[in-house]
Amino acid sequence: MQEQIGEHILWHLPVLGPVHADTIATTWLVMVVALLFFGWIGASYRSPYMTKRQAVLEAVFNYIADLVTSVLGESGERFVPFFVALFIFIFLLNQFGMLPFKALGLPFGGSPTADLNTVVPLALVVFFTIQIVAFRKKGLSYFGHVLKPFPALLPINVLDEILRPITLAARLFFNIFVGELLFVIVTSIILAHISIGFFNLSLGVAVVPILIQFFNFFVGTIQAFVFTLLAIVYLSLAVAEEH
Amino acid sequence: MNPESIIAAAALLCFGVVISGVAFGSAVGDGIVASKAVESIARQPEARPNIFLFMFLGVGVLEAVPFIAIALAFYILLVVAKVPQIITALVK
Repeated sequence: MQEQIGEHILWHLPVLGPVHADTIATTWLVMVVALLFFGWIGASYRSPYMTKRQAVLEAVFNYIADLVTSVLGESGERFVPFFVALFIFIFLLNQFGMLPFKALGLPFGGSPTADLNTVVPLALVVFFTIQIVAFRKKGLSYFGHVLKPFPALLPINVLDEILRPITLAARLFFNIFVGELLFVIVTSIILAHISIGFFNLSLGVAVVPILIQFFNFFVGTIQAFVFTLLAIVYLSLAVAEEH
Repeated sequence: MNPESIIAAAALLCFGVVISGVAFGSAVGDGIVASKAVESIARQPEARPNIFLFMFLGVGVLEAVPFIAIALAFYILLVVAKVPQIITALVK
C-alpha cells in the first residue's frame, strides 16, 4: 500500500466543478461533533448547579474572553463568541487528522486544515470581518490608515494588509501539512525494509509515529491559538484610536 | 555519467542544505525566545502566565517558517526532481 498525501477524492459538482470530497465530509463531521458536544455541555445549564464539564469549558471560554478584552478593551466583548468559535473550530479541525478514518478505507479523514481550500476561506473570513468592523467603526477615514505616517508608504501599507491573511493561512496550512507529511516519510521508511548491519532501521523507526502524534497534538493546539490570537491582534490594530 | 544521476545528486544536496539551514535557524530562534522567557520569569515571577502566553505565540509564529521550508524542500525532492524514482532506476 502506498501512502499518499496531497491527493483528494473529488466530487464533480454541476456549477462548482471538482471539489475535495474528503475535506468537505470531514469538515461536516467536525461540525456535527462540535454541535453534539456543545449540546451535551449546554444540557448541563438546565440544572441549577455547576457541573464539572461546564466548569472546564468555561475556563477555556474565560481565557479567550479575558484575552480579547485585554487586547481590544471593553468594546471587544461582542467579538468574544466569534473568536471562541474560531479557536474551537480550528482546534477540532486540526485534531481530527489524528483519527484513522482514511486508513480504515472510509472516504473521509485527515485534517481539513491540511488543505488550502479550508484555511484560505478561514483567513478571508477574518480579513473581511476586520475590514467591515473597522469600516463601520471609523467610516471612510479608516482607509486613510494606508497613508500613515506619510503617503509615500502607500504600497508598503497595502502590501502589509494583503500579506496578513496570506501568512495567516500559510502558517496554519504548512504546520498541519508537514505533520501529515512526517507520517508519509515514516511510512515509506518502514515499507522500504532498510537494515544497516545488525541494526534494523525500519523496525526502529516504527516507534516514531506515536511521538509524531504527540507533536501534532501540540502543534495543532498552538497553531489554533496563534491563529485566533493574531486575528485578535489584527482586529485591535485596525480599530485602534489615533493618538 | 548520465544526467539523471547529476539531477538526483543536486536535488539531494539542495535538500540537505535547506534542511540544515532550517534546523540551525529555527533552533537558534527558539533558543532566543526560550532564554528571554526564562530571563523575564526570573526577573518578574508574577508575570509568568503572561510571559508563557507570548512565548508560545512567538514560537508559533516563528515555527511556521521552518515548516514552510521543510514542505518546499520535500516538494523539490519528491515532486520536482523525483529523486526516489531516479535512485530506484539507477540501482536496478
